[in-house]
Amino acid sequence: MTVSLKNLRKTFADGTDAVKSIDLDIEQGEFITLLGPSGCGKTTTLRLIAGLEEPTSGEIYINGRQVNDVDPGDRDIAMVFQSYALYPHMTALQNMTLNLTVSGLSKEEANKKALETARTLGLEELLDKKPGKLSGGQRQRVALGRAMVRDPVCYLMDEPLSNLDLKLRELMRTELKRIHKKDKVTTVYVTHDQAEALILSDRVTVMKDGEIQQIGDPVEIYGNPANEFVAEFIGSPSINLIKADVVDNGIAIEGNLVSNRNFPTANGGVNLGVRPEDVILSVTESGGLKGKIEFTEPQGGVVHAFVNLDLSEKKLKNRDYLVVSMDVHESIDVGTTVGVKFREERINYFDCGTGRSLAETT
Amino acid sequence: MRSPIRKAMDIFVVFIVAIYLAPIYWISLTSVKPMNEINSKEPVWFFEPTMEHYVEAFERFEFGKALLNSSIIVFSATIITMILALIAAYALARMKLRGADVLSLFILSLRFMPGVVIAMPYYLMFLKVGLIDSHIGMIIVYVGYGLPFAVWIMRGFLIDLPKDIEEAARLDGLGWMSIIRRIVLPLSGPGIAVTAIFTFVFNWNEYLFALYLTQANAVTLPIQIAKMVDAYTVLWGTISASVVMQLVPMIVVVFLLQRHMIRGLALGAVK
Repeated sequence: MTVSLKNLRKTFADGTDAVKSIDLDIEQGEFITLLGPSGCGKTTTLRLIAGLEEPTSGEIYINGRQVNDVDPGDRDIAMVFQSYALYPHMTALQNMTLNLTVSGLSKEEANKKALETARTLGLEELLDKKPGKLSGGQRQRVALGRAMVRDPVCYLMDEPLSNLDLKLRELMRTELKRIHKKDKVTTVYVTHDQAEALILSDRVTVMKDGEIQQIGDPVEIYGNPANEFVAEFIGSPSINLIKADVVDNGIAIEGNLVSNRNFPTANGGVNLGVRPEDVILSVTESGGLKGKIEFTEPQGGVVHAFVNLDLSEKKLKNRDYLVVSMDVHESIDVGTTVGVKFREERINYFDCGTGRSLAETT
Repeated sequence: MRSPIRKAMDIFVVFIVAIYLAPIYWISLTSVKPMNEINSKEPVWFFEPTMEHYVEAFERFEFGKALLNSSIIVFSATIITMILALIAAYALARMKLRGADVLSLFILSLRFMPGVVIAMPYYLMFLKVGLIDSHIGMIIVYVGYGLPFAVWIMRGFLIDLPKDIEEAARLDGLGWMSIIRRIVLPLSGPGIAVTAIFTFVFNWNEYLFALYLTQANAVTLPIQIAKMVDAYTVLWGTISASVVMQLVPMIVVVFLLQRHMIRGLALGAVK
C-alpha cells in the first residue's frame, strides 16, 4: 500500500466540512483518480496527502509511515499543480533541480538527473529558458519533469491538464499514460473531467460533498454505478434516468413492460438508468414504449437523438428528452415516431427514495 | 493623429510637471548665484555662476559630516527595516494566524500617532541608556517608526504573490526562511522597491526625531541645513547648495530602484 487514508476529515476554520471521513487505500503503482464536481473535496484530499493542509482528524500513511506531522518536503511525494507553479525567476533546469540540491545532491549530479528526465519529456532544448518564455504545454512538461526527477513514491496531480487547449490536453493525456505505464509510480490524480478519469485511471474514486460515492475501475464505475449521482456524473451525454413502476411480472413504464427483473424492496418505485447507447430505436415497432425524435446532434461517428416519449406524465429525471446515441450510418430522421426499447441486461436500477443502486438486493 | 482631448491632456501634464520642477529649478539656480544677486529685488536670470555656497556648506557648516551621518543612519535603517518588514509581512500574509487582518491594521495604526508623541519618551529612554546623539540610537528610532508602514505595504504585495509557487517550494523541501530568501525575495522586487523608496525618502528627510535626539555627533542633513538660519541672517545660497546636494542621493536611490518597480516578474509562473 503506497498511500492510505484512514477516517480522514478536514473542517476549515469557517466551518466548511471539505472532507468528511474518507477511507482510501492506494496500491503500489496504481493510477487512481479523485473525480467529482467542484467543491466535492477532491483537491482538499490531495492537499491533505501532500501536507499542504492539516487534517482535522484521521490518519495519512505513505509507504506505511504515518505522515500527519511530517513536512510536505519530507513525505517523499511530488505534486503537479493546476497552475504548474513553476518558479518564474529560475530556468527550467533550476526548477527541476531545486529539490535535488536541497536534499543534498551535488549540482553536477542534480543536473545530470534533470537532463535524463528532460530527455524522456523532450525538454533538452528548453532547460535554460525561464517559464515566462515557455508555452503552456512546455510549462506543463517542465512541471511534470520537476515531479519526475525526484523519483518520489507517489505523484499527486491536481488537474494538471485543465489549462491546456483540447488538442494539447489529449496529447499530454497520452504522454501521462505512457509515463505511468513505463515507470509505474503510484499516482493520485484530481480531475473534474470524467472522460479524463476514465481514460487514465486504474481506479476511479467518485466524490461528492466531501464523501466517497464509489471506488472502482472505469468499466465498473460506468457500467454499475453505485447511485444516481455517480450514474449521472459519469458518461457524456449523461445517463437517462426514468421513473418506472414495479409490477407483478417485472418493471414497467406506464404499463409498457421494459424489464423482467423484480425488486420487492423498492417500495417507492424504481428509477431506471439507461445509457444513451443502450436505447434501441426502431421505426417498425408497433407495440410498447413509443416516442418522436424531436432533434438530433451529430457528433461525427455518432448522432445523439432527443426523443420525446409518448407518456401521459414526465417520467424522465433532470431532462425533457430521452437521449439516444445512434451510429451515424444508421440514424433515423427527425420527426419520425419510433418504438423505444432498452438493452435489458445493461439497465441500472435505483431506489426512487434513496437513489442507491438496487443491484445488490437481487 | 492625436485627438484634441489627448493634446489638452499632454499640455496639462507638462503644466503639472513644470509646477513640480519649478522650485527645484529655482533652488538649483540659487545655489550657484552670487549672494548679492540672490538678495536683489528683481529676479535675476543671467549671472556669473559661483561655487562659493557649496564651499561654504562644507567648510563652515560641516556638510560632509552631516552627509556621512545621514548616509550611515538612513541606509542602515532602510536595510534593517526592509529585512524585518519582509519577514513580518510574510508571516502576516501567509501563515495561518488568527486575526492577521486586525493585527496588520493595528500595526499600521501605530503610524497614525504623531511623531512628537514618541519623540519625548525616546529622548528620556535614550538619555538613560546613553544613545542620545548616536548613530545606533537614530537607526533604532527610524527602524521603529518606519517598520509599521513598511510591513503594511509589503503585506499587500506578498498577498498577491501566487501561493502555489510557495507550496511547490515547500514540497521541494524548503523551510520558511529559505522560501522567503529563494522564492519570495526574488519575486517581490516591485514591492520591495516601492517600500524601500518610501522608507528611504521618509528617513532621509526626517527632521523631528533628529532634532530631539541628535546634538553634534550624529546630526543629520535636515538638522544641519536648519542651522543655516539664525536670528540675523538666512543664508539662502548655502541652504540652496545643501538642498541640491541632499537631493542627489535620493534621486540616485529612486533611479536605481525604479526599474524593479515594473511589475511582471511573476508573469509566466502560473497559467
